[in-house]
Amino acid sequence: MKNPPFEYHQPDTLEDAIQLLAVYGDEAKVLAGGQSLLPLMGLRLVRPSHVIDIGRVAGLGAISTESSGVSVGALVSHSMAERSEKLRTNAPLVHQAMPYVGHRAIRNRGTVCGSVAHADPAAEMPAVCRAAGASMIAVSSRGERAIEADEFFVGYLQTALDVDEILTEIRFPALAEGTGTAVVEVARRHGDYALVGLACSLTVESTITAAALSFFGAGSTPIRLGEVEQLLIGEEPNEAAFTTAAAAVRSSIEPSADVHGSANYRRYLAGVLTQRGLTQAASTVGVLA
Amino acid sequence: MTVSFTLNVNGAATEVSTEPRRTLSDVIREDLGLTGTHLGCEHGVCGACTVLLDGAPVRSCLTLAVQADGHEITTVEGLANGDELHPVQQAMHEAHGFQCAFCSPGFMLSTVALLAENPNPSRHEIREELSGNLCRCTGYHTILDGVEVAIRALASDGASGGGDA
Amino acid sequence: MNERTQTSGLGFVGQSVTRVEDDRLLRGKGQYVADIEPEGVLHAAFLRSPFAHATIRSIDVTAARRSPRVTAVFTAAELNELTNPFPPFLMMPGLYTPLYMCLSDKKVRHVGDPVALVLADSRYHAEDALELIEVDYEQLAPVASIADALSVNAEQVWERADGNVLLDKSDAYGDVESVFASADRIVTERFSCQRQSNQPMETRGSVIEVDPETGHLTIHNATQSSHMLRWLTAALAKKESVRSSLKNFATNKDRRDSFIVAAKEFMAQNGESMQNQDNAGPKSQLRKDRSMLRHLPRTLFGLLGKDDYPTVMARDIGGGFGAKGPVAREDIALAAAAIDLGRSVKWIEDRVENLSDGGHAREEDLTVSLALDNDGTFRGLKVDLVLDQGAYPAFPIGASMATQIMRVMFPGAYKFDAFHLRARTVATNKGKYVAYRGPWANETWARERIIDVAAKALGYTPTDLRLKNMFSDQDMPAAMITGPALDETMSTKKTLEHAMQVVDIDEFRDEQETARAEGRYLGLGFACYHEAAPGPPDYFDSISPGAGTLGTEYARTTIERDGSIVVYTSQMPHGQSHETTYAQIVADELGVGIADVKLVYGNTDRTPFSVMGTGGSRGGPLGGGSVKYSSREVRQQVIDAAAELLEASADDIDIMDGNIHVSGVPARGVSFADVAATVISEGDQPFDATFGYTGKGDGGWSCATHACIVEVDLETGRVDIPRYVVVEDCGPIINPAIVNGQVRGGVAQGVGAVLYESSVYDTEANLQATTYMDYLIPTAMEIPYVEVHHLETLSPGENDFRGVGEGGMIGAPPAITNAIEDALGPFGARVTDQYLPPTKILEMAGIIDPD
Repeated sequence: MKNPPFEYHQPDTLEDAIQLLAVYGDEAKVLAGGQSLLPLMGLRLVRPSHVIDIGRVAGLGAISTESSGVSVGALVSHSMAERSEKLRTNAPLVHQAMPYVGHRAIRNRGTVCGSVAHADPAAEMPAVCRAAGASMIAVSSRGERAIEADEFFVGYLQTALDVDEILTEIRFPALAEGTGTAVVEVARRHGDYALVGLACSLTVESTITAAALSFFGAGSTPIRLGEVEQLLIGEEPNEAAFTTAAAAVRSSIEPSADVHGSANYRRYLAGVLTQRGLTQAASTVGVLA
Repeated sequence: MTVSFTLNVNGAATEVSTEPRRTLSDVIREDLGLTGTHLGCEHGVCGACTVLLDGAPVRSCLTLAVQADGHEITTVEGLANGDELHPVQQAMHEAHGFQCAFCSPGFMLSTVALLAENPNPSRHEIREELSGNLCRCTGYHTILDGVEVAIRALASDGASGGGDA
Repeated sequence: MNERTQTSGLGFVGQSVTRVEDDRLLRGKGQYVADIEPEGVLHAAFLRSPFAHATIRSIDVTAARRSPRVTAVFTAAELNELTNPFPPFLMMPGLYTPLYMCLSDKKVRHVGDPVALVLADSRYHAEDALELIEVDYEQLAPVASIADALSVNAEQVWERADGNVLLDKSDAYGDVESVFASADRIVTERFSCQRQSNQPMETRGSVIEVDPETGHLTIHNATQSSHMLRWLTAALAKKESVRSSLKNFATNKDRRDSFIVAAKEFMAQNGESMQNQDNAGPKSQLRKDRSMLRHLPRTLFGLLGKDDYPTVMARDIGGGFGAKGPVAREDIALAAAAIDLGRSVKWIEDRVENLSDGGHAREEDLTVSLALDNDGTFRGLKVDLVLDQGAYPAFPIGASMATQIMRVMFPGAYKFDAFHLRARTVATNKGKYVAYRGPWANETWARERIIDVAAKALGYTPTDLRLKNMFSDQDMPAAMITGPALDETMSTKKTLEHAMQVVDIDEFRDEQETARAEGRYLGLGFACYHEAAPGPPDYFDSISPGAGTLGTEYARTTIERDGSIVVYTSQMPHGQSHETTYAQIVADELGVGIADVKLVYGNTDRTPFSVMGTGGSRGGPLGGGSVKYSSREVRQQVIDAAAELLEASADDIDIMDGNIHVSGVPARGVSFADVAATVISEGDQPFDATFGYTGKGDGGWSCATHACIVEVDLETGRVDIPRYVVVEDCGPIINPAIVNGQVRGGVAQGVGAVLYESSVYDTEANLQATTYMDYLIPTAMEIPYVEVHHLETLSPGENDFRGVGEGGMIGAPPAITNAIEDALGPFGARVTDQYLPPTKILEMAGIIDPD
């Protein structure tokens, strides 16, 4: 189980990195932490001719707050995110997801942006991005664009990034007043990819004014259930509303089976997690009715 | 293609010239001859290959050697101070921590990093922090005991112990 | 922790002496096979079949051979031309063992079946070259399950088998028919156990050094069985004609003489067991396949004709659990390539290879009928067992042997009037079945499950029904209905009684009821067993006549000129801490300290022969006994010599802390070095004794009861284990910390077996768990704290140690599954699968439907 050969590039600047990517396109893979890419290369399931290691590129390692929210640079590891006070207060879903992300050694190397660009549908970060309404900043030699999370995840391990684009940053919008969030998941073992997980938020002004339910491990991409979210709006944040939502989740979700869980199991579990997640989210803002 | 760079392992710098695809674990074991770092799965799950990179545990099988350029690496060989075992090694000995011990370098380096950050973790925190290291022999109980012996030893030493971790 | 001080005089045996092995291992200075890198060694990678079942039309290795980093590429056809096939071993009536080569040239039989071998200057380049080999396969219908294998329409994995059935053997004890006709009730259930994998943290590996001058092979290998690997490599890795072998043998007098000496020695030790062997086994084999008549003479005469057998060396081994017992096809392929090239080669298995064919186990279906009377008296037991061995039988101990251990052990600690077992082994397109920590364990699982099922049917508590039918002290001496003698070491009932004191069942039932009212589902399960560790002398022969040759363990104790004590064992430690426990035994015998004893193992040039090496929980009782008695003989030699030196009677000599002295006069004592120097310089017989030990007599049982409490979360299907209790009795304990470690490690694997681990194949016989993302080894978060309680039942006579390596894994699956069924009692759930992942839990509770 050894990596296939490749040409290695270690650009110092983002400009150099995107130039390399412009040249090599789909023959290249961008390497940051490598915790998703390197296992696949070792198994020779992915074999890029060129690896562009952005580990030395300056300016990608920051977590910064802006008026519109908080942004996470491409080299921010899960561990940095886990310890970040800025993220805990401004993008609490990221913080809440961290205990579920792999194990310490994986979090130390793996990056938030890397996980999102890898787009494993059972991983936490893609679903968090969808729940939070994050924007992905994609940079190429053609310029920079923001891709909304809802548009970003297009299929199993597939994103809207073009072959010459690097995901340089994820921007999480500021939380609305009165918003509670939660990440809940069930995995076979501690630290495994989720059987099913849920990143969710509720905004409450006496009744629910906004809701986000973003499931992972329940399809080929992270899944937002807009219809269920709509059902919650206008309701009081109480057990009855959450039970109704859970039932609606079970009837609308179409998970697939694998060796770790049947489709029926995942469907049932999605309902359980709906109840648990919404209850937790409501209690984080102290509005559980 | 060959890349040349400097690896700082256990306080010693070595010039390495290698194919860029080679992992940190392979270079440590084969080029530096430090075979205490073990390969159990080579896909980042078992944790046997864990080393410290600037004091933080990482999977050396999921790190290209060239990515470690400019960082300080600690392997299990860097824990003892001459004849004197590191307090974590000594604690694992006293607690009968391991059996076949193939997993032991990863567990001990994870433990060193954990205790550097949190000198007094609860049993649950220890279990959680070590859950990225698999052991097939012990059922973990004695390893967790070993961490607790180390906690007490380090507390009574009032120091962080030997080694440079 | 039972930590007593590590000083001599009080007796080391019985103390939790800290490990001798630790200093090198904890420093990262151990020497595992992957750490060995001879100068100029070639790195091996095997090309493996991507298909479960296919014929090979052609293979093209020209591009791979052209690669500048590649030294050699062997196709299967090329390598097989150089080697002998794996022969049948321990043939049994009703069994057909297919012969097979080290690589597959015409047909592949499982995903991962090796078809070519590449040798390059690094594993990276060897893997690169694999991608350049083109194989044209024609796929055949896969045989993916026991049901497939038993289907009359299935493609045959082995052309000469009866369909896909390799073993079909029925045995009856007592009058089965009349017992079943006269019993009040018959409770029947079909149990099914999933395929599991041993999964030591270190994969398999072999480094073969070739001496450029002599051609002598030194094989560094992670093997549990160093001598078997040595002999089989000598037999298989270089094919010679009978004629040239005979010529070598006839013209070499040394060779002839040493053979005769060795044969006499072997027969003296094993003659009785060999005589038990009838020829029903070979007849069964020959009825199916006469090719062994062609291959065996060549193989055996090849052994006779060889002057030089390989040296097998193994230092530190990263676990095995049975998976490193067999001699692997890869081992022979690598040796053949090394001999052919005259170059050293190295192969370290990767984890995907290991999960695919490094050893699978336990996949068995068992239909069990328990006949009993309304008062709860067990009358009879009938079992129909089908075992899925995968494609290639493991060598030397194949899956069919496990079925016969199951036959002997199935009745367990209970009295029966009659027992019947039909055992079938089927071949499928899967990785090979190997012994896995208590290879017969599913007899305990199925028996302890059916007892719970019967208890519920008759309205007994599971513990009452067990106690009523168990052998107790008053019954001794007795015998299992399947043959083996029972004595006072058969203490299973005592372990159950003790467990019932440790776990307050009434209190638990109250708690269970309260919890159910809150929607929490608790359950309590018990499991009881005894294992032959070592078992009575006829134990192995009761499994398969002639198998007694597996039993003996040898040790040699010597004292060198400098007084150092060196002990050589035929055991092959791989995590069990032999260096510590044997040092404890020897130090007590010789009156020295732990550090004064050096254990030599794993070097076939230096260690005594045994067929099996380490396995079967034999290290403590048999290995320990051989070490004890060889050391005792040497003690007498030392005392006799010291008596002369000290001008005293041997009866008056005492040894304490290495000081050999006349009793009461320690100040005038001499050291081992003094005595050794005198004796050796005078040219007298040096201190040296070898002892072969097969156990001390009837009994030799190691017993236990496991009690498990579970909490089942019906929202997630997850099972938590808030309490796990083991009451074990392995007789006098050599080292409590090491015993606890063995028990807990075994329980952890049992937890994995029930809740996490499955080497599952799809309907096309593609393995679905080829990485650690899918084969789930439990972590520190999943394994509960295991309370271990010890009984130390003694039996008359000496060397009462009993083995404890396997029991943890034998007891855990039934205890956990019984507890889960108890927890799901309100839903009327019946546990018939051993593997109970969250999906299955919710299905059993009726919360979700199967997809």
